Amino acid sequence: MGVDRRAVIGLIAGGAVGTMFTPAIWKTTGSIALWSQNWGWIPRIPKGERKYAYTTSKLCPSGSGLKVLTVDGLPLTAAGNPAHPLSQGGVSALGLSECYLLYSPARVKKPLLKTGAQFKEISWDEALGLLADKLKAAGGKAAAISGDQNGTANEVISALLAKLGCADKFFLMPSEGQAAGRAWQLMGGHGLIGYDLANADTVLALGADLFESSGATMLNARSYSAQRSSLDKPAAKLVYVGSQRTTTAYASSKWVPCLPGREAAVALGLAALLIKGGASSDAPDFADFKAFVSAGYTPDKVEALTGIKAEVLEKLAKKLTEAKKPLVVAGSEFGQGAPGAAYMAALAVNILLKRINVPGGVYATPEFPKVVDGALSRTQMASADLVKYLSSVAAGKTPAPELLITYDANPAFGLPQAPAMAKALAGAGFKAAFASFMDETAAQADLVLPASLPMERYDDVVSPYGAPFAVYSLVKPLLKKPVHDTKAACDVILAAAAKAGLALGADSFEKLLKTKVAAVAKSGGFIAGKDASPSAALAGKDVAAFSGDPWKALMEGAAYVVASPVKQDGLTLGTKTLAAALKADGAKAEDGALALTCAYKTRSGSPAVGIPAQDLTAVRDTELAGTKTVATLNAATAKMFKLEAGESIKLTGPAGEISALVALSETVMTGVVAVPMGFGHTAFDDFSKNKGQNVLAVMTATEEPATGVNSWSGSKVKIAKI
Amino acid sequence: MSEFKEFATKWGLVVDLDKCTGCGACMISCQVENNIAPVVEASNKLRSLNWMWIFEMTNGKAFPENDAAFLPRPCMQCGKPPCVSVCPVVATDKNEEGGIVSQIYPRCIGCRYCVGACPYHARYFNWFDPIWPEGMEKAITPHASTRPRGVVEKCTLCHHRWNYAKEKARQEGKDPSALPENAYVPACVEACPTGAMYFGDLKNPKHKVHELAKSPNAFRLLEKLGTNPQVYYVSAREWVRKQGDNQLPAKEKA
Repeated sequence: MGVDRRAVIGLIAGGAVGTMFTPAIWKTTGSIALWSQNWGWIPRIPKGERKYAYTTSKLCPSGSGLKVLTVDGLPLTAAGNPAHPLSQGGVSALGLSECYLLYSPARVKKPLLKTGAQFKEISWDEALGLLADKLKAAGGKAAAISGDQNGTANEVISALLAKLGCADKFFLMPSEGQAAGRAWQLMGGHGLIGYDLANADTVLALGADLFESSGATMLNARSYSAQRSSLDKPAAKLVYVGSQRTTTAYASSKWVPCLPGREAAVALGLAALLIKGGASSDAPDFADFKAFVSAGYTPDKVEALTGIKAEVLEKLAKKLTEAKKPLVVAGSEFGQGAPGAAYMAALAVNILLKRINVPGGVYATPEFPKVVDGALSRTQMASADLVKYLSSVAAGKTPAPELLITYDANPAFGLPQAPAMAKALAGAGFKAAFASFMDETAAQADLVLPASLPMERYDDVVSPYGAPFAVYSLVKPLLKKPVHDTKAACDVILAAAAKAGLALGADSFEKLLKTKVAAVAKSGGFIAGKDASPSAALAGKDVAAFSGDPWKALMEGAAYVVASPVKQDGLTLGTKTLAAALKADGAKAEDGALALTCAYKTRSGSPAVGIPAQDLTAVRDTELAGTKTVATLNAATAKMFKLEAGESIKLTGPAGEISALVALSETVMTGVVAVPMGFGHTAFDDFSKNKGQNVLAVMTATEEPATGVNSWSGSKVKIAKI
Repeated sequence: MSEFKEFATKWGLVVDLDKCTGCGACMISCQVENNIAPVVEASNKLRSLNWMWIFEMTNGKAFPENDAAFLPRPCMQCGKPPCVSVCPVVATDKNEEGGIVSQIYPRCIGCRYCVGACPYHARYFNWFDPIWPEGMEKAITPHASTRPRGVVEKCTLCHHRWNYAKEKARQEGKDPSALPENAYVPACVEACPTGAMYFGDLKNPKHKVHELAKSPNAFRLLEKLGTNPQVYYVSAREWVRKQGDNQLPAKEKA
């Protein structure tokens, strides 16, 4: 039997029809689609039990509580903890980054010792021994810089310096909290300062970018949100005064343009108008204050200083007078470098409006007790000025320290006049850096001690600046063991101190925190929750005091709150200091110089963290064009300097220069150039490195007379086409 | 345009542009939640991929008369999605209760017709494989499968969160088809610090979005195209509302 053409065609056709009736071909086609997308190098998603863990964000300065999704015990994503009073469910770009930053390529994985120009890996024993030796050798010639603004870690480090005999060389990285704290002290105030936005009906933000960089930002944002249902009229007004549309300005009902660094003049102008309208105060220096502001801060004079038209200032004063619960908050547009006078003047306005320690006003909150012998208090810490110290070292007036310890701080990047400051730091004898990431400071250190990140260690967040109530929450390790060979920095400090014969009274930071929690829990406060809202407590609601195991409650992500303010006696309006500090205000008229302001966003990270990998896409092309920093001016300013969009310019300050591309936007006031902050890293990983330039390099730090506060929010730059 | 189903539940997002600060928390929480790989060149916007993007709006006037706003843009989950009509392989569809426009990666053949058809630029094509920095893949979430190069992706209103909410409701003996407000919210809404975003069932009067979407200040993007989005915006500022429709001459009010 032969195979003819007909049989072959029949077979093929039969086969084709036959396959239509089997699922094999369809199944295979479907599978091809799946196979062709399942390459080995495409990561697979985890399949395990989903659970939530609660902790507090240490990377975000707002101290937000975090609700962390874990799968098989690994933390994956962080959202805001709805029950935590400082987050109320909201989370910033920095808080969000806590999980994945554990695996950042920039992490320091082992202790490193610099030999020549290179780092070599050493063991923890060697590192500890070396640090102990250096501590012994340095004696009173040590200094420490901490990037933690409020934690008990600062007690440990300041106590160590006290043991060495140089407690006055303990410095915090500059922050608004410090400058505001100094201002409050100079006015005779007691306690820490906080602002009760939740209960205020009119908030005037003088420079302070309340939702991005000033104070308890997340609490501020949540308070704002709660007052606006989007259906009815807002329950509160928010007015922003500043030289650019900051994050807060976008959410405000009105933006009042004002030259950067001139917040004090605005506040004093308002004070003059309020006094003219009948406001007064029991403060002992009220008569002097009245004379000072009435003569020096008339609306016309304020207009000349700030650019705010007299009628606009009058309207603002009227708004404050008409409000039932007004609140004035001063600060810097980028969270640092505002002069002390700005805070003092704004606090004086609050005093005139009788808004101290009342719902919706400024609250003085108590400090929790210290638990390390010899440690500095928050108030004491606020009076040491790092910029002043380093400027003095750079000028050769103060000897450089023989041992410099940096803790979660990156002063080589994050200080004004950055190149000069980095040079002063480089002069230190031996530099030991506790760093989680290979940042600019770690890169120039002699010994790098890899620090565990917040999700790998015990730590705490203690009343971040701006919270209107004292609040304490714990940070706990969510991983069974750290991702790399890192240790909690405070454990290492305690061990090294003991080894050097300077024992600080605890052998582990966890134990020390337990002591702290026990001490904190005696403050008569409560655990914040649904029925125990700190804002409601401030407004007069009775909340039952906490009884129970505080450590257990705090380990579950709760926050311990004391919502009773510190009584004030002898509060003044700070007239003398203000008058001396502002003597030179408006005296300078630079030729060809342009007022410089910065735009800081949490999405560009922080000096000690760099730009978190996932945040880079949120950085706008109006901040960073490829790898170039974008400087924004409005069309009128650009015309004055004969600049066009897209042109390259050079900005020059007294200590350095940076280049940028020009962008035109009417969101910046005339006469001001806005440059984004947080870029220009030379260390870290590819997500941070070589992206833009560090604007801090061209900022000028000036010591304010009388307050002694170094400020750089009123910096000027020369601008030239390149 | 072909006709699409009407659903009993319509998940809707309402963004109050007067409360939006453009901070980017929505974008970042979305990326982390939905496993969008971080990109070193992300500062180059031609290389980045974002389910949620924030546009900047301005009234075009010179300082000091200038006003500006930000507009977060997820997938609009159109009632008549132009992307669905053009998909040759039914990789994207509007066929599920809730009205979320699906995107089925294994079906996608990468023709990018949908990318071209979407008037909101809400769809993104993977030109590259998703590569996490070494070790960072340990922080990948179980919510959304990772997508290889060659497929299109877009916002799903965190559809997985809806599944979790329904699962939870079933476990608690409640009706999964009548979820209370906020039982299901996408990651962007959860993260928003200033509470500019509201989420819920547009058809459920107990949900705030039901009323918000009817507000005289509410509008939808390019409404006149007839795409019937499930994402609404509200602003008390007229210029913002006008720009939402690209200032086309008004014809009839829907």
